[in-house]
Amino acid sequence: MVMSQLVMNSLIAGSIYALVACGFSLIYTTNRFMHFAHGTTIVAAGYLLYQLFQVLGIPFFAASFVSICLAGMLGLSTYYYLYLPLQKRKASNIVLLIASIGVLIFIENLIQLIFGASVKSIGYIKIARGMDLLGAVITPLQLTIILSSIILLGVLSFLMYKTILGRNMRAVADNPELSSIIGIDHVKVSKYSFLIGSYLAGIAGILIGLEQNLEPTMGTSLMIKGFTGAVIGGVGSVPAAALGSYLLGFAENFGIWYLPSGYKDAIAFILLFLFLLFRPSGMFGREKGASHD
Amino acid sequence: MLEIQNLTAGYGELEVLQEVSLHIGPAEIVALIGPNGAGKSTVIKSVFGLTHIARGMITFKEKKITKMKTSDLVGLGISYVPQGKINFPSLSVLENLEIGAPAGQDKALLTKNLSFVFHKFPALREKREKPAYTLSGGQQQMLALGRALMREPALLLLDEPSLGLSPKLQKEAFTMINSLRADGIAIIIVEQNAKKAIEIADRTYLLEEGKVVLEGGREMITHKKIKSVYLGGRY
Repeated sequence: MVMSQLVMNSLIAGSIYALVACGFSLIYTTNRFMHFAHGTTIVAAGYLLYQLFQVLGIPFFAASFVSICLAGMLGLSTYYYLYLPLQKRKASNIVLLIASIGVLIFIENLIQLIFGASVKSIGYIKIARGMDLLGAVITPLQLTIILSSIILLGVLSFLMYKTILGRNMRAVADNPELSSIIGIDHVKVSKYSFLIGSYLAGIAGILIGLEQNLEPTMGTSLMIKGFTGAVIGGVGSVPAAALGSYLLGFAENFGIWYLPSGYKDAIAFILLFLFLLFRPSGMFGREKGASHD
Repeated sequence: MLEIQNLTAGYGELEVLQEVSLHIGPAEIVALIGPNGAGKSTVIKSVFGLTHIARGMITFKEKKITKMKTSDLVGLGISYVPQGKINFPSLSVLENLEIGAPAGQDKALLTKNLSFVFHKFPALREKREKPAYTLSGGQQQMLALGRALMREPALLLLDEPSLGLSPKLQKEAFTMINSLRADGIAIIIVEQNAKKAIEIADRTYLLEEGKVVLEGGREMITHKKIKSVYLGGRY
């Protein structure tokens, strides 16, 4: 009983982390720098939904669709109007990282300026009594989160492994120099990775916005969880980042079975710390050097 | 087919090549030899639009290609196999080859080129579904060469194809390069092994400090300079 509840809670948390981590990892592998502003794309989508649905009264699905599209545009414009001009000026990846943290702080504060610091909630789904599933209590929304995450990860793997665009993305991730020598357009690949990664962030934002209260600064903590998940799995590979995120979900929820629940976030930080120290390539990542010809 | 005239090129402010001129005809092999840092690789990188060209002119099939973008050059029928990391390790062998084909290429042509490559390198056919990092050093080289052939190039630029290969595999690599000439492909090859290069090439250029200091056919092997410096008196 307790066990199945813990498994269910782990899956719910893991699903959310996986959506965050996959988008982040997709952008990281094809661009080789950390787009930490990814976190704010998630929050922006949540707040957009709040504004469109809760305040303006636009039907829920239309409002969600618009929010996801705008999240995609937000990610794409960050690349096109900020990172790309910096790259053209030969900025190093550290400069891009700092720029991305700048965007994170800027948008968080912009949201706070517009919506205020108090929490907002989206009342689309009335608080429902949980249903019983294999001995665990789960709300329909939580089940939706798990299923949407699994479906989206399936769609993403199809895109990555069965389409030309996905193949080119993996090629750029594998060997950027060679991919430009054989004529793959890096800017195009980057644009698509930002667009797709940010769509995923938008969907994550909608699901999180329904499940929890919205706060302007929640992007940073979500980003830390997604990043930790990606590092545990292996930040250089999208499927590995997804698996790592589920593992993080399990580690957190099973950890607080033994520890006071206040330590939940600490578990993530300790794991992040240990992996960065002892296995920076992640659980499923190939050790650097093994892939050299 | 390809003509380089008085090429001065390098990277950024650094000019590696000084007034280099060379030419290659259809189905010819031209070798570039010389010590490390002489600018051998820079010559073929310049042809492929990967350097900063200060002065000089490069023409391919009577067309000026100086300072053309790499992505446009691939379309003209020039393929380049760099040295070092020459494959996409986590992509399958098949994907590594297919990615070499021009975007939107006709399916039938793709299949034809693929079977040509598999005919040349049967080992790749066996491992087609495996990721490229599982291949041996020699097979990695074949894969890179195979990818370059997927575009049916008229001119192939090879940067040290024998690097890191065992003597037996080196021999195989040179036999392969010879057979590509028989298929009508012109090849410029950068090579450390002066003796092997002169043997296989129709013409050889010796580069030192960014300049062509000697050029000639197979008789170059008996040249005093080559004998004393590059063959180290061992042959």
